[in-house]
Amino acid sequence: MAIKLPEVPAGTCFHCLQALPADGGYSARLANQDVAVCCYGCQAVAQTINEQKLLHFYVYRDTTNPLQIPLLPEELQQLQAYDDERLQAQFTRTTDQGRQRELTLSVEGMTCSACAWLIEHHVQWLAGVGSVKVNATTERVYISWYADQIKLSQILQAIAGLGYRALPFESATQEQDFKRRRRYYVRRLGLAGLATMQVMMIAVGLYFGVVSDLDDSLRQFMWWISLVVATPVLLYSAQPFYISAMRSIQAQRPNMDVPVSIALLGAYGASAYATFIGHGEVYFESVSMFTFLLLIGRYLELLARQKAISAATNLIKLVPALAQRETAGGDIETVPVSDLSPGQIIRVAPGATLPADGILLDQPATLNEAVLTGESRPVQKPAGTTVLAGSINQQQPLRIEVTAAQQETVLASIVALKDLALSRKPRLAQAAEKLASTFVIRLLIVAAITFLVWSFIDPQQAFWVTLAVLVATCPCALALAAPTAVTGAIHNLNTRGVVLRNADVLNTIQDIKTVFVDKTGTLTTGEFSLQHEHIISGRYKQDAIRALVQALEHHSEHPLAQPLRQLTATPASVSAVVNHPGQGLSGIWSHSDESLHVRVGSLSFIRQWHPEFTPAVAASQIFVATEQEPLAEYHVGDQIRIDAKASIEQLQQAGIEVIMLTGDRAELAQPVAEQLGITKVYADSLPDTKLSVVSAAQQQHPVMMIGDGINDGPVLAQADISVTFGHAADLARVTADVMLMRNNFGAVLEFRQVALRSRGILRQNIIWALVYNIGILPIAMAGFVTPYIAAIGMSLSSLIVLANSLRLYR
Amino acid sequence: MPIDALAALLMGLAGSGHCLMMCGGLAGALGQQASVTRLLIYNLGRISSYTIAGALIGAAAASISQVTPDGFVYLRLLAALLLFCLGLYFGGWWLGLQRIERLGRPLWRAIQPLAVKFRATRSLPATAVAGMLWGWLPCGLVYSALSWAAVSGSAGNGALYMALFGLGTLPAMFAFGWFSRALQSFLQSQGFRQLMGCVLIIYAIWVAIIALRQLPLFS
Repeated sequence: MAIKLPEVPAGTCFHCLQALPADGGYSARLANQDVAVCCYGCQAVAQTINEQKLLHFYVYRDTTNPLQIPLLPEELQQLQAYDDERLQAQFTRTTDQGRQRELTLSVEGMTCSACAWLIEHHVQWLAGVGSVKVNATTERVYISWYADQIKLSQILQAIAGLGYRALPFESATQEQDFKRRRRYYVRRLGLAGLATMQVMMIAVGLYFGVVSDLDDSLRQFMWWISLVVATPVLLYSAQPFYISAMRSIQAQRPNMDVPVSIALLGAYGASAYATFIGHGEVYFESVSMFTFLLLIGRYLELLARQKAISAATNLIKLVPALAQRETAGGDIETVPVSDLSPGQIIRVAPGATLPADGILLDQPATLNEAVLTGESRPVQKPAGTTVLAGSINQQQPLRIEVTAAQQETVLASIVALKDLALSRKPRLAQAAEKLASTFVIRLLIVAAITFLVWSFIDPQQAFWVTLAVLVATCPCALALAAPTAVTGAIHNLNTRGVVLRNADVLNTIQDIKTVFVDKTGTLTTGEFSLQHEHIISGRYKQDAIRALVQALEHHSEHPLAQPLRQLTATPASVSAVVNHPGQGLSGIWSHSDESLHVRVGSLSFIRQWHPEFTPAVAASQIFVATEQEPLAEYHVGDQIRIDAKASIEQLQQAGIEVIMLTGDRAELAQPVAEQLGITKVYADSLPDTKLSVVSAAQQQHPVMMIGDGINDGPVLAQADISVTFGHAADLARVTADVMLMRNNFGAVLEFRQVALRSRGILRQNIIWALVYNIGILPIAMAGFVTPYIAAIGMSLSSLIVLANSLRLYR
Repeated sequence: MPIDALAALLMGLAGSGHCLMMCGGLAGALGQQASVTRLLIYNLGRISSYTIAGALIGAAAASISQVTPDGFVYLRLLAALLLFCLGLYFGGWWLGLQRIERLGRPLWRAIQPLAVKFRATRSLPATAVAGMLWGWLPCGLVYSALSWAAVSGSAGNGALYMALFGLGTLPAMFAFGWFSRALQSFLQSQGFRQLMGCVLIIYAIWVAIIALRQLPLFS
């Protein structure tokens, strides 16, 4: 027989594709080849297949992924549509010179962190996938992949094979998705609520002897009614728990829904059995009530989550879908934003929102950037600067040259960052989750032991005691403790214009005893202005000198030159301007009827002509002179942030040492430090000095660094918490943990307070959950807790945790 | 004892993933065009084989247990032991049960030529017979279930338990493609097998405890 047998992955059974036993298993002879099989069953089947000449069965099956369940052709076709390049451009971002693409998928059917784990681990192993981050909170998956190695549809297919529906995330459908999800719970919740009331009424009647003197047949009738009412609760309302339990078992990390499901099905099964045979114990009311209370908890959690998510994505919705584009002939046409490409020119009417990032042409603008920075006051933008999608044009019509649209805009990257923060769990939250997971396993073991021990003591009671243990000690509160608090913290910070890139800072914040601050752009606004002007020459008027300086500095690229370029309305006429890098500029000044050689620049540059010259003001950095005499000196500096002093004072009062770490000269840094009450200053620091200063301080305790996200990159990375003021335009290049979008120094304090408060709540949650779970365990094992009490106790403990976390939303 | 009947059904369900892996695709391959009727007939054939085996074992055990007064209890303990081994087997922790599978090999060798013959004809009765023959495939799962039939006390109960066990395996075998994809990937997962392994082990211990309580030594 000339059939070529396919290869199977090493170490798996040729027939059933499951792992071979440690000793290598057995062998079967098929088509004159020996293949390894795992058991006699497989051996027999394989040989039968051989003898029946059915070997094509092996040839045509998919061996690469035994767990992959094939998709129906029409589903596959739908997914393949997403490989279309034009379509992909609308929701993917490209990085790494266009090789790598990234996008956010929204996943239907994701219920818990086990789902996240499943998807993450399944997709990560696909060749060509860069990284996968699943966010169970937002039900979104962030994926980056190399388009030349794997198609998007293949990734979607892999996720679909696990039983989830993943589609590119569209903010437009989010509201609908949210509503659908809420309705999913509301329906189940409503049914469970109604049923619970009915069953409870009957149960209370039976408990308190209202019908005690009635005959057995009536009691039996009541049981039957309870059964009928409780059945839809079990089959419909409790579905979310079963699904979540299944997923977690599949991921081999059982979550709290496993004991919940076992308890629900067990209690219902045993009660139904008692109803059928007409004697025993019946706990339909516990089943209904437990489902109802658990659903309330889940529903509240869902609402909180949705609030956090929509706060981030509502931003995107503010960007209009249409733009007014200028045609080559100068006419205006209305086009979808997706058709915009860099270099095109769009117009924005007063009151409208900018549809894309771009460069402001022609004239200055007044924009409201509240969406981006949280700052509600309008800001002035001079012509030629970058303006961002999402800002609102306050005054006259604008012309803008597009630089980025859709997913490439700064606003989109802010939203992506918020998503990322929500998906990364801080270590404490991870620890709590792991604890909850190990707790579940221990709980199951303890429940099994309880059952077996009670079987010896009193077989009649064993079942119900075990059930009470399962219900009462279910670590729902523990599992809710961290995620709800973290989501709340991120949401709270976002509404204050603080973007977290790494939620771990919530954890470290309280150990911070030292804060390093950079000067320029951090303590100061980073916008240079003329601070002081001193005219030396008596021969020329101030206006004339200013006009000269402005004319010369117009040829300079130096940041300090910038404020000197706007001194007067009419610059003087200069010719033969030469730039002397590191020193200044020289040229020939035509003033009245003379032609003079002039220089503007550093002190040493001027001293080449006037060696004995000493500045009148120590802080002056820019000097202007003719060959005959010095003309004037200027001090250009940046302004200290208005609230910097008060904020630093407060930090110091909180027992935190504030240290200035700057690359600037000492004579410039020292006055600023004195003004702000900072006693320790490291000036003239090169990047590697900064790095060693910070790491030396880290020997003592964790440190926070507040700096310029772009120039201070390495030292920010070294610090335990790095904070930067997000000049929104630079966001994509910034690497800090925390970005303060509102441009005032007080945001540092606000961030610290919220972070400390969140950590407090997180800790309270975890401690409370642990105390409850560990405390109730021995009582339940001893058989003192009825299923009824257990359900109430467990549900209350999680509702307390939830309510505590919800405080962060206020 | 209806609770034992439930256990048999559960065992079948628990084995679903195993069955799906072993024979899921094959059921289609052997049943030619996997039409719903054909698949159903084929599987009913398989289950009827189980039922027959259950009746035989049940009757044999019932007669043995009359030899000694506690014979029935010892049989229960044996069943519990097998169940325990099956739990270990499902979880992948110990595969000793394969030795028992080996016992069935000679039987299968004898039956296999017949299976080849019946595959040639495509009538529905032939499909039923092919399914019946398939039921004698060496399978640790089936043998553990049979131990359950052994303690059932009579041929009738033995047949009932095995029929229920067969019904338990039916959804997985038969409804390949009917199940939602999520459920399929769940049933095939290692986690599910381990969970079922644990459940069977606990159940086995429980059965053993109940059986021991019936011995004069402990009561």
